[in-house]
Amino acid sequence: MSNEIWVLAEHKDGKVKKITYELLSASAQFSKKTGGQVATILLGNNLQEAVKSLMTFADKIFLIEDPALTFYTSDAYLPSIASLINEHRPSILLGGATSTGKDLFPRLAMHLRTGYVPDCTDLSMGEDGRLTAIRPIYGGKVFAEISFSEDRPQMATVRNNTFIVDQELNKSAQVISVPFQTNHSLLKKKVLGMEKVGGEKLDISEADIVVAGGRGIKSAENFKILEELADVLNASVGTTRAVVDEGWRDQKDQIGKSGKNISAKLYMAFGISGAIHHVLGIGTCKTVVAVDTDPNALIFNYADYGIVGDLFQVVPALTEEFKKVLAEGA
Amino acid sequence: MEIYVLVKQVPDPEAMVKVKTDSELEIENKYFTNFFDEVAIEAALRLKEKFGGKVTVLTVDNRRVDALRRGISMGADDALQFSDPALEGSDPFSIAKVLATYLKDKPFDLILAGRQAMDDDAGIVGPSVAELLGIPHVNSIIGLEIEDPKKGAKVTREVEGGKETLSCPLPALFTCQKGLYTPRIPQVMNVMKAMKAQIKKVDLSAIGLTTTDVGPHSAKIKLNRYFPPPKRPPVRIIKDDFPENVKVLVKLLREEAKVI
Repeated sequence: MSNEIWVLAEHKDGKVKKITYELLSASAQFSKKTGGQVATILLGNNLQEAVKSLMTFADKIFLIEDPALTFYTSDAYLPSIASLINEHRPSILLGGATSTGKDLFPRLAMHLRTGYVPDCTDLSMGEDGRLTAIRPIYGGKVFAEISFSEDRPQMATVRNNTFIVDQELNKSAQVISVPFQTNHSLLKKKVLGMEKVGGEKLDISEADIVVAGGRGIKSAENFKILEELADVLNASVGTTRAVVDEGWRDQKDQIGKSGKNISAKLYMAFGISGAIHHVLGIGTCKTVVAVDTDPNALIFNYADYGIVGDLFQVVPALTEEFKKVLAEGA
Repeated sequence: MEIYVLVKQVPDPEAMVKVKTDSELEIENKYFTNFFDEVAIEAALRLKEKFGGKVTVLTVDNRRVDALRRGISMGADDALQFSDPALEGSDPFSIAKVLATYLKDKPFDLILAGRQAMDDDAGIVGPSVAELLGIPHVNSIIGLEIEDPKKGAKVTREVEGGKETLSCPLPALFTCQKGLYTPRIPQVMNVMKAMKAQIKKVDLSAIGLTTTDVGPHSAKIKLNRYFPPPKRPPVRIIKDDFPENVKVLVKLLREEAKVI
């Protein structure tokens, strides 16, 4: 067994996702304690650009390229990753708590007969190479600190924005090309297509800034003012269960218990009362702003800054004010 | 179609859950059937209505069988409770082992489960059962089309920034996300029937597992401690009149919170 720390790289259309840099930055810190190398596994097709952008973030890049890896499927990914792990025996394997991570990691952990902690909001490394994971449970009403058995690798998926990207790692990775060995006839699942929703906007689970509207927005059309605010801030637009159930917004934008947990740096809630279902999904956001006409709205209990007022006045004014200060640059 | 649905009774999202000690929680006695599992039951029942066959709900729980009763009241044909004192303190990997060991000699076309249980929010059991059974799985589906069970399924899953459609042969395991279907509300008559239904109990020895296969000593992950969520400082309400309040907020976000 080695003391290496591995990160499963994620990319979209050849562009590496921020979560991968975040995990590699954290791994670089962890490896200072244990002295092991940091490696990333990159699977896909035509990944030159991704390799280039990862060069300074890892000591090693395991590169597996094949047309069958263009889209993620566990059938195609799992055997390749498992055989690499069995060969090199890393101590730790990290991934994002993303649609890919949540689909692959539990199955991979079972396959390797090792421990896996999902959806972590913090990780720490002991001198002895033991990983400790923190994760919210019961929707965030309680946190659990979890450690691993003696099995290796210790596997975890981590939420976006848990760690800060360190642009100064200045590593120079060794690129190790690994042939894709899986027999194509064993690939049972086939991705037939991908329908992009929401244009070029990041998913609410990935965005640094999320602005959200609740029932107080009153109609699907009125979300336009939030879209405009989001455009100025390069933010994504989220919403509540009530709004999704009304059919005003897509399910993928729902924050909370039956939707998504978000860990944005800035979350702004407009016309959201703050039902427990919703606020459970924003517990790990860094700064929370709430705007609502009702001074007793529960959302204010979960916010850092609040304005009691009419969102139809406040949102356009905020858009203009942000436009102004961002244009000033300073 | 022969369909099995993995279900669990969990604290209602409104239920109070507090840390009692490092290793113990205080949970208000307000439970419901995991919402995503109800979506899975609904999907199973719709397939049964289309193709005929049988829907069986399974739970691994020493105490609560209400999720099984919910399944029966919605229309499931059969229900099984896996229970054994040795299961106390099992991690999700052991739970998966129990379910997969039972299912491995059963003829089935499809296994459905919720995306995750609303208690530990882990989402481990479903994909792990699929791994142990050597069948494909797809997580968090929001679309499911089966024209002919022999020809497999077309499923749609949520991915960041889009929806991905896959073809998948059966048998397979899918975990269900909100938006796939709205779970039906059972009729009162069926609720009464479900209350009286005989729930079959299965213990470890019945499926050929021993106490060393499950429980805390075989767990791959261990709880060190529970702790309450970090508290946000009290909200700062910006009391200036409009539009001055908007200017103050933007200034605070830039200069104090430093998030813009």
